[in-house]
Amino acid sequence: MDDTLERPTSISKPVDLVDDGEDEQSSGEEDQGPDWTKIPSVSTARPFIPKRGEKDFEPTAAGGSGLQRHVLDRSRHAMLEALSAPRTISSKSVSYAVWYPDIARAHVTMSRGIHFTNMGHSVARTTSVEDSKKFAKRLELLPEETLYLVERGAMLCWKASDLVLTDAPGLDDIDGVPMTVQHAFAEMIGTADLTLEQYQVFAYLKRLGYVVTRTKPPNPEYPVPSLIEPPKKRRVLSCFGRVLQLVQWPLQLLLGLVSRFDWWRPIRLSCLQISDTRSLFRSLRFLPGGHDVPLHVKVSPRVTSPYEIFYNVYKPSTPFKKTAPPPPDYSVVVVNARTTPMPTLTELAALFGALPELPPPLPRKRQSFAQHKADATAPPPASTSQTTHPPSSLVQRLFPWAFPSRASPEPVRNANPFLSLKTGKKMVVIAAVDAGMTSFFRFGEGVFTEWPMA
Amino acid sequence: MSLITPSQNQQGGPKKGGARRAENNRLYGHSLPITFEKSHSWTSHILGLFGVSGTRMLNPHCTGIFDPHSRSVWVIDSKDAMIMWRRGFFGKGDLSRSEPSWRTRQISAGRAAAGKHMTAEEIREKRRAERKQFKLDRAAAIAQAAAEAEAAFTEGREAKSSVVIPSGATWRPQQLVTEESPSLSPIPDEERTVEFDEDSVPDLEHLQLTLQEAFFLAWSLDCLTIIDPTTSESMSLKQIWTAFQQIHGSTYIPGVVSEIYANRFDSPFMVNYAAYHYYRSLGWIIKGGIKFCVDLLLYKRGPVFHHAEFAIVIIPVYEDPEDQETSPFDLANSQPFSWTWLSTVNRVNSQVQKTLILTYVTIPARSRVSQELLSSPACLAHYSVREVVLRRFIPARMRD
Repeated sequence: MDDTLERPTSISKPVDLVDDGEDEQSSGEEDQGPDWTKIPSVSTARPFIPKRGEKDFEPTAAGGSGLQRHVLDRSRHAMLEALSAPRTISSKSVSYAVWYPDIARAHVTMSRGIHFTNMGHSVARTTSVEDSKKFAKRLELLPEETLYLVERGAMLCWKASDLVLTDAPGLDDIDGVPMTVQHAFAEMIGTADLTLEQYQVFAYLKRLGYVVTRTKPPNPEYPVPSLIEPPKKRRVLSCFGRVLQLVQWPLQLLLGLVSRFDWWRPIRLSCLQISDTRSLFRSLRFLPGGHDVPLHVKVSPRVTSPYEIFYNVYKPSTPFKKTAPPPPDYSVVVVNARTTPMPTLTELAALFGALPELPPPLPRKRQSFAQHKADATAPPPASTSQTTHPPSSLVQRLFPWAFPSRASPEPVRNANPFLSLKTGKKMVVIAAVDAGMTSFFRFGEGVFTEWPMA
Repeated sequence: MSLITPSQNQQGGPKKGGARRAENNRLYGHSLPITFEKSHSWTSHILGLFGVSGTRMLNPHCTGIFDPHSRSVWVIDSKDAMIMWRRGFFGKGDLSRSEPSWRTRQISAGRAAAGKHMTAEEIREKRRAERKQFKLDRAAAIAQAAAEAEAAFTEGREAKSSVVIPSGATWRPQQLVTEESPSLSPIPDEERTVEFDEDSVPDLEHLQLTLQEAFFLAWSLDCLTIIDPTTSESMSLKQIWTAFQQIHGSTYIPGVVSEIYANRFDSPFMVNYAAYHYYRSLGWIIKGGIKFCVDLLLYKRGPVFHHAEFAIVIIPVYEDPEDQETSPFDLANSQPFSWTWLSTVNRVNSQVQKTLILTYVTIPARSRVSQELLSSPACLAHYSVREVVLRRFIPARMRD
């Protein structure tokens, strides 16, 4: 019903289309308020949020001028007018639910609209109706889903109660008392592990069109993505490579016995294996680095970390099936920025340990704005060719100096390693909420070890 | 020291892109002081038959003097300094921002004063003055337009502004034309040819290497000899190793080390060296990043080729929290960060198109690793370096 409210934000901004990588981090026009004067006058009962425009009022040294005051007053008047329009919903499009505080779920008694294609899950509950136990499936909402729908006026919520309100016309089948938005907030925040920060992040992402689900199922019936196998380190080795390795292994072992690594002379420059700058750099890499190195940090086991993935987030374009959700596009952790410090290395390692490896980033195509526009209308290309980076063997990674330059052929390189370096192999999004202001950061597991510059 | 050739400035303005790039590639082609040369002797041909490439390695063997007070190693000889700078961008001139170019700048300034050229600094100052003038002009035009609109408003008529607000693309300085006109018409017989005496400019600058750079050059590459300032004799690697670790104690008195600073895995030198060696060995060029609230900046090939891509914050992580409690060092960034700090640093770096990297260096626990290892660089094998890439995530722009 009120989807029209969101229309302006869903218009893609042409600026972003041209180059979304470079200024991805700048906030740009997001911080500006709406231009209320662009709102058509109050005659429309249904308000809509307009596009943003120029700033009307700039302070001057001489103080405000008559013209500026006039423009500002007009703007302000328009805003108040727009806000004073009564917000109405049609009884034909509103959904109904009953909130059960004891289980912290809302039972949807009447579902209308598209919201339920990606919200709510069905649970079998025993209900005692007329002294006979009935086992029936019903649609239930988590507190954040209930709050979101109530807040945006898409659903009316009752609180389950023994009081029978028979005098309410047409609502004979609902047992309970109606809840206001305020009542719903007071009642639902804090239930089912939901903090206010988590709700704020949920609502923000939902308003942008994302599908948001819980990562940890709050009850067994809650659908979660089928478990992704932790990626195994597959060694892609050709036949020749295998043979070479078989020969090399005892040879290196022998070499290692004969000449132990001398820590006072880490590089034997007279060594025949060092024949150019690249092999010199390779032999310099003898200190442990990268995320595969075991972490020996002691952590006291009693303290539970606030850094747990809370939401699975799906892009609006991802096909989403409620009963069988796909693997998430983003994993989001929500913390209170005032009380929680940044994650420690152990907390980050735990987060990365739970996440799958990302596919290698697609090379960004440089193209003109006009071309981009043409592409947007045309169907997307079926597949993009890309070069993958074959992982070097474990032995080679551990003892890079021990391998002659000929034996380890240079991996096929992506044209631009910077994309991989800037993305990382695994990614987690952390939302730090500071009293309602949310900063999202993405933490990527660095792959510098795999992309040497020389 | 003529690292920047004075002739570059004399020809007026920088060279065209391609030529300069080729020149830079030639000058700064090596990323390490050690270079390789193809040898053409018959032995190399025979070795080549067996798959061993016949190249000869050239080690420049430079010399530096340890200066404990500035915690650096000074390369005084200008030839050595040039090698250090051109091959891998090690160090910094003490009178320059990066490349030790003080003498060159003095010479070009002298030549400019003798002839009628402008030095790079003067050109920059002129450009800044012009830019300032443009901003003043634009502000005046905007104010005028506003005043006109205001007048029109009070009279109650539609505002039609005649004021043209200058834009950066079209604005030209007016006074420039009058200034340049005499120089545009060359008068050959008036041209003064006063030779500037280059020898009158003494070479006062030296290259200073950080302790990390110096140890990397001396230990890993064996191309730097470090001289002890008191004895004037070359230091052994073991002496360098202990001296560099101990220098981070409160005050440096040679030979006297206060007990609490000795034999610790969390010596600032070691933590920084682990990170430095890690990125150097991966082929990155490393410079200091204090300008951008970070510890290091990573360049792909060097500052003359590209801007730095990555900004590195070194975060020491104690394997054993007890070691941190008993530590005499108050290591920077070892305490948990606030989100405010992170936002601040990330803001600064995204503003300058750099990606922020949190580099975690783990410090081995004293309970796990024997302290005897500290007597040699063997202990470095127990540190580990891993990085986390940080970027802002803007949900409104990540929808597809």
